[in-house]
Amino acid sequence: MDVSSDEADDWFMESLHMYKDLHVFQLEHPTKVIEWTSEKSVCVAGYSSPKNEILELLLPLKLYAGDKQGLCPERDFKVQHGGFCDEPVECLRHIFGKRCVVTSGHNSSKLQVWDLGEDDSDVIKRTGVINLERTSAEGRKIASGLTEDPSVLHGCQINDVQLIELASGKVLYAVGTDSLDAVSGLQFVNANEFVICANNGTLYVGDTRHPRIEQYALQASVTRSRWSFGLKTNLPQSDLASCTVSRLSSCGQVLLSDFRKMSSPVGEAQLNLQHSFPSSDFMTVTWAPALDNFLSVSGLDGTVLVFDTTRWTTDLKNPEPIFVHRGHHFSCEAKTDGTPLVVTTHVWHPWRPRTLLSAASDGSIHVWDWYKHIVCLAFFCSWVFIKNLKKKRRRSTCTLH
Amino acid sequence: MGKFPKVLQCLLKDQVITETQVWVPLLASDEMLGSVHTQEYLSNFITGKTDEKEQRRTGFTWSSGLVQRCRYETGGTVLAAQVALQRGLACSTAGGTHHAFPSYGSGFCLLNDLAVAAKHLLTESRIKRRILIVDLDVHQGDGTAFIFKDEPDVFTFSMHCGKNFPLRKQCSDLDVSLDDGMEDKEYLSTLQAHLPWLLDVFRPDLVLYDAGVDPHWEDELGRLRLTDQGLFERDQYVLKSVVKKGIPVATVIGGGYSRDVDRLALRHSIVHRAAAKVWKEYVT
Repeated sequence: MDVSSDEADDWFMESLHMYKDLHVFQLEHPTKVIEWTSEKSVCVAGYSSPKNEILELLLPLKLYAGDKQGLCPERDFKVQHGGFCDEPVECLRHIFGKRCVVTSGHNSSKLQVWDLGEDDSDVIKRTGVINLERTSAEGRKIASGLTEDPSVLHGCQINDVQLIELASGKVLYAVGTDSLDAVSGLQFVNANEFVICANNGTLYVGDTRHPRIEQYALQASVTRSRWSFGLKTNLPQSDLASCTVSRLSSCGQVLLSDFRKMSSPVGEAQLNLQHSFPSSDFMTVTWAPALDNFLSVSGLDGTVLVFDTTRWTTDLKNPEPIFVHRGHHFSCEAKTDGTPLVVTTHVWHPWRPRTLLSAASDGSIHVWDWYKHIVCLAFFCSWVFIKNLKKKRRRSTCTLH
Repeated sequence: MGKFPKVLQCLLKDQVITETQVWVPLLASDEMLGSVHTQEYLSNFITGKTDEKEQRRTGFTWSSGLVQRCRYETGGTVLAAQVALQRGLACSTAGGTHHAFPSYGSGFCLLNDLAVAAKHLLTESRIKRRILIVDLDVHQGDGTAFIFKDEPDVFTFSMHCGKNFPLRKQCSDLDVSLDDGMEDKEYLSTLQAHLPWLLDVFRPDLVLYDAGVDPHWEDELGRLRLTDQGLFERDQYVLKSVVKKGIPVATVIGGGYSRDVDRLALRHSIVHRAAAKVWKEYVT
């Protein structure tokens, strides 16, 4: 989408009323992963070149200054730790309770284990490689185990989903099914139970205490689309029956389901989206951890949409989002190859109700906190462009007319 | 807007000025405003008929109080210019609404006070005057640049951060576009590379100086990294350079954005403190 300067200026003015906070950062290369490593830091990693940076970024401290924001000058993302990965990173997960992440790559048959480092070092070091039998063209999906001994659940097809102990590489569990459905995502609900979403939208529920897996398929008419999912849980110990699952399709359909009654959805919606980006690689649907019934969607265009699903019914309607983050359109560098901008991923802050992080295909990464009621008031919001990690040589340009 | 009265309060409290030095402006008249703004815009603005889109672009919701404030603010800049011509140096505790165009407002600016003041002084005097507008707000003075693009007796000089609002830049008579993150020393040396020759070549009869504090590193909308000391040295340099040449100068506070209004007001008072120092050294 071509953005005129006038549109960008108009959006800038509107953004001052829409956002309580908005901080913009520019990575050298785009990321499709944002993973919380603490309440104030996230891990990102490149996916677009043979050698990619893995970075642990500290969020702008101004975000946490509360009423004293005016006294806190620190509004930059800061690189706390960094390292290089020898493959494009498709999936990255922080291991529960550890200073450690696991990555999977594009066209790769391994998982890589990384130590994020402590205060005495700024290097993210690879500490282990888990070689797998099968290469995944699309990248293996990973979920962190929730037990005391670090483990990961991973898979590229349902029949090869395994739980692996990180320290030894030992397979602790393997799913007992021969389904060849491709894995779109997987997540633990508690120490033993997990949910897998297949690309065709089928949900699989398993328990590491036995290999049997339950399957909940969608109607055939919708399985042609590609699906991703988001699970609302009370980690680290949830009861599956209390979880709500959302599924997003590549044609913009959203289904809400309750595990107590999986025969039919409890809510559904058809989103009005311009499909400017042909691939569905970046579809993300997530539940707000601190706002009841709030759901966010991204990956089908250059926006992040936030919905309140409280009034969603089983009649397929087009709900209006309660907020749309369009910032990536207006912060992106000029594009010369005509590739449309797409939001590659987004996450909610673990406890700040309306704070999200989002990343886009131009390398931008935003953290934003929108106002509960969007009104036209003369508020001054924190709106900062910080362009580029590298220091540029200071210069001025002088134009005399 | 809370910062304006606080600027005056802190100047009085810190005894930078006394009450006898404070002059109260009149509302800028329709005729005065009409020399810059279109009749349609003024009529809509004064009577509250600007539409929602126009209001969103300005950042303000219309109210009659807002209209009054803008007219007093403009009147204040006109008064500062008039007093500067009489006394040599005058400072407004508001002003610098340089994003206002003839037919619309933008970026928290509804009436272009610098343009109205300049136009008023050009037309009210029988003597031909030349006016230099030095705009050091971190955002380009696009409205002022547009208004005076064909006016040979007004020279617009804007030194601003290139990547800031507005993205769509106008052409000032001299634009100096700075990179993000510039600090005190380099900022001042860049200014020193331009202002002296500008004063010598254009030879203004009056300088209107927009001393915006949004180049400050704490400013929420700026991208430069000036300190309080840097702003003071900047203002002192501009005022000294102009006053030493015997040219009257009127200042306005320009832009500054912070949630801590007390701190912001103190920052805006830097130009007044610099002016007081220059006044003592060079005028009295």
